[in-house]
Amino acid sequence: MEIDIGKTIRISDFVHAADGRALLLDTTLPGSIGAVPGLEHTAEALAEVTDIVDGLIVNPGQAEHHAEFLGGRHRASPLVRVDWTNAFRGQDFCLPATEFRHLFISDAEDALALGASAAVASLFLGFDDEAEARNIEALSHLARECTRLALPLVVDIRPIGYKVGPSNFEESVKLGLSFMQELGADVLIIPPCSQGTCATIGGWIAVPVLVRMEEFPEAAHIDAFLAAGLRGFVLGEKVFARERYAERLEVLARQVHQRSSSDDARAR
Amino acid sequence: MTRAPGKTARLNRLFNPKDGRAVCVAADHGWMSDVTPNVMELRRILELVVRGGADGILISFGTAVRHGHLLRGKDSPAMLIRADWMNMPRLGASNVSNVLPVVNFKKMATSRARDALHMGASAITIYYFIGYGDEFEALNIEQAADFAKECRKVGLPLIIEPMAVGGMVTGVNIAEILIASGRIAAEIGADALKIPYTGDVKTFKELVDQAGVPVLVLGGAKSDVPRDALELVDEALRAGASGTVFGRNVTKAKDPQKMVADICALVHGGKTIAEILGEHRAVGQRLKPVPAQCIGCQLCEVACVRAHTPGYGQTRARLRVETPSLGEELKPHRPVVCTLCGQCADACATGALTIAPEARLVLQRSLCSQCGACVDACPFHLIFVEDGYPVVCDLCDGDPECVKWCKRGAIVLTEWKRRVRHVHAE
Ligand code: SF4
Repeated sequence: MEIDIGKTIRISDFVHAADGRALLLDTTLPGSIGAVPGLEHTAEALAEVTDIVDGLIVNPGQAEHHAEFLGGRHRASPLVRVDWTNAFRGQDFCLPATEFRHLFISDAEDALALGASAAVASLFLGFDDEAEARNIEALSHLARECTRLALPLVVDIRPIGYKVGPSNFEESVKLGLSFMQELGADVLIIPPCSQGTCATIGGWIAVPVLVRMEEFPEAAHIDAFLAAGLRGFVLGEKVFARERYAERLEVLARQVHQRSSSDDARAR
Repeated sequence: MTRAPGKTARLNRLFNPKDGRAVCVAADHGWMSDVTPNVMELRRILELVVRGGADGILISFGTAVRHGHLLRGKDSPAMLIRADWMNMPRLGASNVSNVLPVVNFKKMATSRARDALHMGASAITIYYFIGYGDEFEALNIEQAADFAKECRKVGLPLIIEPMAVGGMVTGVNIAEILIASGRIAAEIGADALKIPYTGDVKTFKELVDQAGVPVLVLGGAKSDVPRDALELVDEALRAGASGTVFGRNVTKAKDPQKMVADICALVHGGKTIAEILGEHRAVGQRLKPVPAQCIGCQLCEVACVRAHTPGYGQTRARLRVETPSLGEELKPHRPVVCTLCGQCADACATGALTIAPEARLVLQRSLCSQCGACVDACPFHLIFVEDGYPVVCDLCDGDPECVKWCKRGAIVLTEWKRRVRHVHAE
């Protein structure tokens, strides 16, 4: 018997029930740093991709303002980001961040009222202990609330703090996955890792794990990630600045869902 | 744009459905800053603002309780309620009074959206300060997000007011910060923005485009002459703004009703400034400062003295650059230039000082009685006396050195329109 039918139905809005895979787009970086190339006009960007990808991660304001482009059987499902950070404000931003800040701008009830198929929040790893503890605490409360409301929780694992370097990056990703699986997350997002780590993750984690790509993935990488048992991709905001991004997304969507070789998908 | 019906209905009261624009007046100064006539005579001023035809009035809760009845009736302005409080004007860095100085910048959420809804409000307004430090900004974001959630729940529009202030904000990056902050506010859930002008049409257009929600430009400090306030409105509209939320430029005007009506004529009526002020057609150019571009290098002062006077000495410049002093870090650099406002010429009883047809101030020494009335009349305090006679900006015969030397474009030439009468003597 299915004991959590609400979550099951909502997850299937963006993770295909047939193949267990998903292709999502994240549009939420402007919430931290203002408009980014390709996302200057949210409505235009959403209109172009909504019938291609399975889900769009949006900030609450955009979910409200542009609901006509989201949800239903023929458009991408809205996944509402419920947190905010200044961590992505680099030295090239007009007001670079000097201290890491992370807080919640929405909650499960608000996201549900916005029509969300899931709430999305980040787990930041590698900043100071206090920040990590507060992050875990807030995510735990969110997870309990999501369970009560049958709203899937997607956790975006971001090992980008000063304590993370090349030597402990992939172990940090695994640690984040472990924490978040124990916490009760329903879908997880990780940065790209080596084949070995991906295989370990694919054979271990019981919930769908998606790989966050800042650029369109190479054909070989798509096959490798999927073969390792990972369930698809979340493409970052940079892809909106790329030439013919909608066309390339269509190719990628076929590659993700049809289990065909990358060459076949491109030829179609 | 999709919104809950409650928000849509309430925004329809604020924005005129014919043009999608709004003229709002901010009258919440007594809640946060100066106890000046615009605070003490609030009832009289609100009555004039209503008669002037404003689409919305921003007031505090206390004012809503005492004077909210002035907004009865279908044609009355929408009531906007300020739902937070801050002490920035008392940090010693603004142009308003500072009777009880404070050291730490504080901003508090002081009410709930549903309180404003029950009061009959059509929207709430809150601040979003950026540039004062990461922790302070995070607090602002958190409070804004809480309001956004509640506003969605109860169907009340949220107007966020991004303000770029603090030690990290300079003349160089302020426009960029405002553009980013407008979009961040929209991402969090703002239904409209109340935001300062970036300083020029190009950057404000970027702000409007990228925000994706209606943008209302705020007036900021009281302009020296009403024309400056109207020009700000005009430029913002050309950049795509949906209207204005002017405070002190209306509430401190000699005739608030006329000032609102003039802004409405510009925003809704399609009138030009010249038509509103009854001016002749343009006959030349005048200087215009662009504070957002100024880095305070004072090269313009040096160039001015070099062009007019043998030797050096910036005190003899016919313009000046105001730089923030210690404890006034929130204030931007500001070039103060002769804008050909004409008040000096109007004050000159002998006709010695006039504005020549080619848009120049000209002094005829033979007519000058050395009374000093022009010096007193200059609202910018730019006229000084040398050998008993006033020294005024002569625009360097139409090719001003300050404009040529300022590589940042902080002083530019703009169209000058000869005025034939003063509509708003201050
Ligand atoms: S000082 Fe000369 S120019 Fe100035 S107001 Fe008097 S007469 Fe006119």
